[in-house]
Amino acid sequence: MSHESTPRREVVTGEPRRVRPLPRYRPQAEIDEQTALGGAYVRSLMRSQLRAGLTAFAVLALVAGTLPLVFEALHSNAVVWAVLGFATYPPLALAAWWYVRRAERNERDFARLVEGRPAP
Amino acid sequence: MTGAGVAVVTVLAALLLGTGFLLGRAARPQRTSDVGTPVEHATFETLHTASLAAPPLRAGLTEESARRSARRLRSLLGTDALCLTDRDRVLVWDGEGDHHGREVMDHVRGLLDSGRDTAFRTDCGDLDCPLRWAVAVPLTVDHRVLGTLVAWAPRESAVLARAAGEVARWVCVQLELAELDRSRTQLIEAEIKALRAQISPHFIFNSLAAIASFVRTDPERARELLLEFADFTRYSFRRHGEFTTLADELHSIDQYLALVRARFGARLSVTLQVAPEVLPVALPFLCLQPLVENAVKHGLEGAVRTSRITISALDAGAEAEVVIEDDGIGMEPERLRKILRGEGGTSTGIGLLNVDERLRQVYGDAYGLVIETGVGAGMRITLRLPKYRAGVHGS
Amino acid sequence: MSTPDHPASMAAVALVVLATVLVGGFGLRISRTTSDFYVASRTVRPRLNAAAISGEYLSAASFLGIAGLVLVHGPDMLWYPVGYTAGYLVLLVFVAAPLRRSGAYTLPDFAEGRLESRQVRRLVSVFVVGAGWVYLVPQLQGAGLTLTILTGAPGWAGDVLVASVVVLAVAAGGMRSITFVQVFQYWLKLTALLVPAIFLVLAWQSDGAPRVSFDDQVSAFRADHPLYATYGLIVATFLGTMGLPHVVVRFYTSPNGRDARRTTVAVLALIGLFYLLPPVYGALGRLYAPELIHDGDADAAVLLLPARMIGGLGGDLLGALIAGGAFAAFLSTASGLTMAVAGVLTQDVLPSRGVRHFRLATVLAIAVPLGGSLLVGRVPVADAVGMAFAVSASSFCPLLVLGIWWRRLTPPGAIAGLLLGGGSALLSVAITVSGAVRPPGWPHALLAWPAVWSVPVGFLAMILVSLATPGRVPPGTNAAMSRFHLPEALTSGRAR
Repeated sequence: MSHESTPRREVVTGEPRRVRPLPRYRPQAEIDEQTALGGAYVRSLMRSQLRAGLTAFAVLALVAGTLPLVFEALHSNAVVWAVLGFATYPPLALAAWWYVRRAERNERDFARLVEGRPAP
Repeated sequence: MTGAGVAVVTVLAALLLGTGFLLGRAARPQRTSDVGTPVEHATFETLHTASLAAPPLRAGLTEESARRSARRLRSLLGTDALCLTDRDRVLVWDGEGDHHGREVMDHVRGLLDSGRDTAFRTDCGDLDCPLRWAVAVPLTVDHRVLGTLVAWAPRESAVLARAAGEVARWVCVQLELAELDRSRTQLIEAEIKALRAQISPHFIFNSLAAIASFVRTDPERARELLLEFADFTRYSFRRHGEFTTLADELHSIDQYLALVRARFGARLSVTLQVAPEVLPVALPFLCLQPLVENAVKHGLEGAVRTSRITISALDAGAEAEVVIEDDGIGMEPERLRKILRGEGGTSTGIGLLNVDERLRQVYGDAYGLVIETGVGAGMRITLRLPKYRAGVHGS
Repeated sequence: MSTPDHPASMAAVALVVLATVLVGGFGLRISRTTSDFYVASRTVRPRLNAAAISGEYLSAASFLGIAGLVLVHGPDMLWYPVGYTAGYLVLLVFVAAPLRRSGAYTLPDFAEGRLESRQVRRLVSVFVVGAGWVYLVPQLQGAGLTLTILTGAPGWAGDVLVASVVVLAVAAGGMRSITFVQVFQYWLKLTALLVPAIFLVLAWQSDGAPRVSFDDQVSAFRADHPLYATYGLIVATFLGTMGLPHVVVRFYTSPNGRDARRTTVAVLALIGLFYLLPPVYGALGRLYAPELIHDGDADAAVLLLPARMIGGLGGDLLGALIAGGAFAAFLSTASGLTMAVAGVLTQDVLPSRGVRHFRLATVLAIAVPLGGSLLVGRVPVADAVGMAFAVSASSFCPLLVLGIWWRRLTPPGAIAGLLLGGGSALLSVAITVSGAVRPPGWPHALLAWPAVWSVPVGFLAMILVSLATPGRVPPGTNAAMSRFHLPEALTSGRAR
C-alpha cells in the first residue's frame, strides 16, 4: 500500500439511503425450485443420498455399539489397545471413501436423469 | 454393570431406529394437494370486480385511489370492513365500524417494519359492532412496505387471512405497475447507468484497438487477448443471477486487467493479496470490476509514470474486507460526496454510485463504500462483505 | 514438578508462537503480475483445506490428553480418538455437502437460512458461544500445565500466554489468512509427535522391550460405571464433531459441496494418521512414568517421556519438539475457536458491526474462558473436551441432521430441541465442573457423560414439537432443501 499520500486523504461515504431490505428468500426461491426442477426430483435425490448415509451410519453404529460389550467380555487390555489404537482407523477411512464414491455417483445419475427429462 | 450396558444398548438402538424411521418418512414424497377449480361464474364475477378496482390503483397509493378502489376490494374479499393505510395514517375505511380506524395504526406499526402478515383481535366494547378480528397484510413494492391492507371480520378466519394475502398481492402488482408507469423514464436512465457501470463503451473500443494492434506483430498474443475479451464480456453481459462469488469476480478482473495491460503495458503495476478462505463469499454481480476500472483510470490519468494498484481481499471473521487502492490523481472529497449523493455526472462516478447503492440495498446501510481520497492523494476504497446473508447465494 | 527447566523447550515454544504469527500475517496469496493472478485467486483444494481443518481440530486434548488418559485409565480411553475421528464420518454422511451448499458461514447462519427465524438464530448463537467457551477452557488449562512443566512458572502463566498470543494475532489483524496457519500447525503437530515417538520406541527396544501392563486399574471415578461412560463418550464424540463452531466455519472455505465431502474424507485420513501416535505414548508412559498415574498431572506424560527415556541433549531436543507441538496444539485450536466465537459475537451479540468490533469481540471471546480456566479447578483436558462435545451433540447435531433431512422441522421444534437437549447437557456439564455432585454413583455418571440421554431428548423434543406445530414450517423449506441437496452444477446451470 502506498505511504506517501495518506496525510491528505479524507474519508468519504455515501449518505444513508434508509433502504431496509426485506428478507428476499421466500417467493423467488420457491418459484425457482418449482418451475426449474420440481420437488419430486429433489426428493428422489435426497432419498438416495439419505440411503447411502444411513447405510454407512448403521454400520458404524453397529460396530461402535457392540465393541464395548465385546471388550467387556474379553477382558484383555492388550486387545483393546491394539483395536482402538490402530485397527479402527483404516475401516473408518474406507467407509468414508465408499460413501463419497456412492454420493458422487448418486449425483451424477441424478444429473443425467434431470438433463434427460422431457422439457416442461 | 452388564444390566446397565444392556439398557444403554437398548436406548441407543431405539434412538437409531427412531431416527432412521423418521428420516425415512421425511424423505418420502409428500402428497400433492389438489387445487380444486372454482365455479366458473364466481370466477367471472371476481375477475370483473378486480378489473374495476385496477384502474384507480394504477395511480399509486393515495387517498383518492384508495377511496375509489376500497369498495371493490371489500367485495372481492366479502368482509364486513376493510381499510387501506399508507405508512402514516388510514387512507380509507370501507364498511361498518369505522370507529376502529383510530387503533389501526397502532396494530400495523410492527408490520410496516417487518413486512410480515399479522392478525389481531379487537374489542371496542360496543356489543353491536360486528368487528372482532382483523388480518393486516403489507403492500410492498420493491421490498419496501408502502402501506397495509386490513380486513375485518366477526371472528378469526383462516380463509379471510389467505384471501386478504392474495388480494394484497394483487394490489401490490397494481402498485408496482403504477410505480413503473411513474418512473419509466427514471428506470431507463437507471438501466443505462447500470449498463455503463458494468462495461464502458470506451473500454470495448480501446480493447479492440489494442488487440488489433497485435494482430500483425504478435498474432498469438492477439488471439489470447481476444479470448480474454470474449470471456470478460460473456461474464459482464450474463443475464442470470444477481450474485456471484468473489473468486469469479476476481477472475473477471484478471481478464479485464490483461486487456488494460495490452494497451498500457508496464505503466500499470497491480498487486493482488487474497486470503483464500474468502473466495467463496457471495456478492452482488460486478461489484468490484467498476471499482478496479476506476482505480485504473485514476492511475493512468495525469503524469506519465507507473501506476500502482493494490487489490486485497482479507478474512475478517464473519466478513470479508476488500480494499482497492491506487496511487493516482485522487479526487476532490466534496465532488465525491456529490457523486455519492447522485448529483455527479461522469461515468466513473456512476460506477461508484451504482456499487454503493447496490451494496446498501443488499446488505444494509452499514455496508456502503468507504472511500479515502484527496486531490493527488490516490484513492482507497474499502468494502465489507458479510460471508453469509439470507438470500444471497452466488451461482 | 521435579523436572529441570529446558531452555531448548522454551526456544521451541517461542519459535512456534513466532512462526504462527508470521504465517498468519503473510500467509496470503500474493501476485504481482497478472499471470499468477489466477493462481492467487484459486479456491482452496480439498487436501489443503483438510490439513487446515485437521490442524485446527487436533487440540491439546489430542496432543497431551489422550496419552495421559491411557496412562491413568487404561486403553479404554482410546475411544476418545476413535470418536474424534468417527465424528467426521458422521459429519460426512449427514452434513458436509448440504452444509456447504447452504452457504452458511456459521451455525447461526445455517439456522436462520433454514428456519427463517431470528429467534432460532439467536438461540443457536448462545449455544455456539457456550460450547466454544467450554471447549476453550481446557485448551488454556493445558497450556498452563505445559508451561509449568517446562519452566516451573505458575499455572496461570501459560493460560495467559496462549490467550494473549491469540488476541495479538487475531485482534491486531495478524491472522489475515488462517488456512495456511492451520496447515502449518497440522504438519508441525504430526512431526512433533512422530519423530520423538520413533526415537522413544527405539529406546524402548534397546531397553529390552519390556512388556506393558495395563492391569492395575486406578481409574477411581471411572470404575464406577465404565460401560455407561464409554457409551456416553461414543455418542458425544460421534455426533458432536459436526457442531463444533471452529469446524463448521472451515467448511465455508470449500468451493462447493463435492469438495466439502472430499475434504472431509481427507480430514478423516489425516487425523486418523495422527491418532496412531498417542496410544504409543500412553503405553510407554505406563512403563517409564508410572508415578504420574497418582499425582494427577498425567497430561504431562508426553512432555516428560523423552527426558526420562533418552535423556541428555537428545532428550532435551526431542522434548523441545514436543513442547513446540503442544503449543501449536493450544494455539491452533484456541485461535480457531476464538475466531469462530468472535464471529458469532460480532454478528449476533454486539450491537454495532465492523472490523474494529471483530477485534473487540476477539478479546471478549477469549477473556471469558480465560477467567473460567483460572477460576475453575482442573478437570483432565480430554474429559473437559468431551463435555464440549456432549453439548454440541445434544444441540447442534439434531438441528443439523433434522434441518438438512427433514422438511417438517419448525422453528418452535428447533427451539424446544435446543433448549431441552443442549440446555440439559450444558447444565450437566456445569454441575459436574462445579463439583456439586461427586463420584461415585449414578448421578455423577449421568451428569458427567450426559450425551446418552441428552441427545435422544434433543432429537425427540425437536421432532415432537415440530409435528405439533405443522403450521410453522418455514415457507422456504422446499427451496432450502433443493439448495442443500442439488449439485452446484445443476443449480447454476438451471438459470442459464
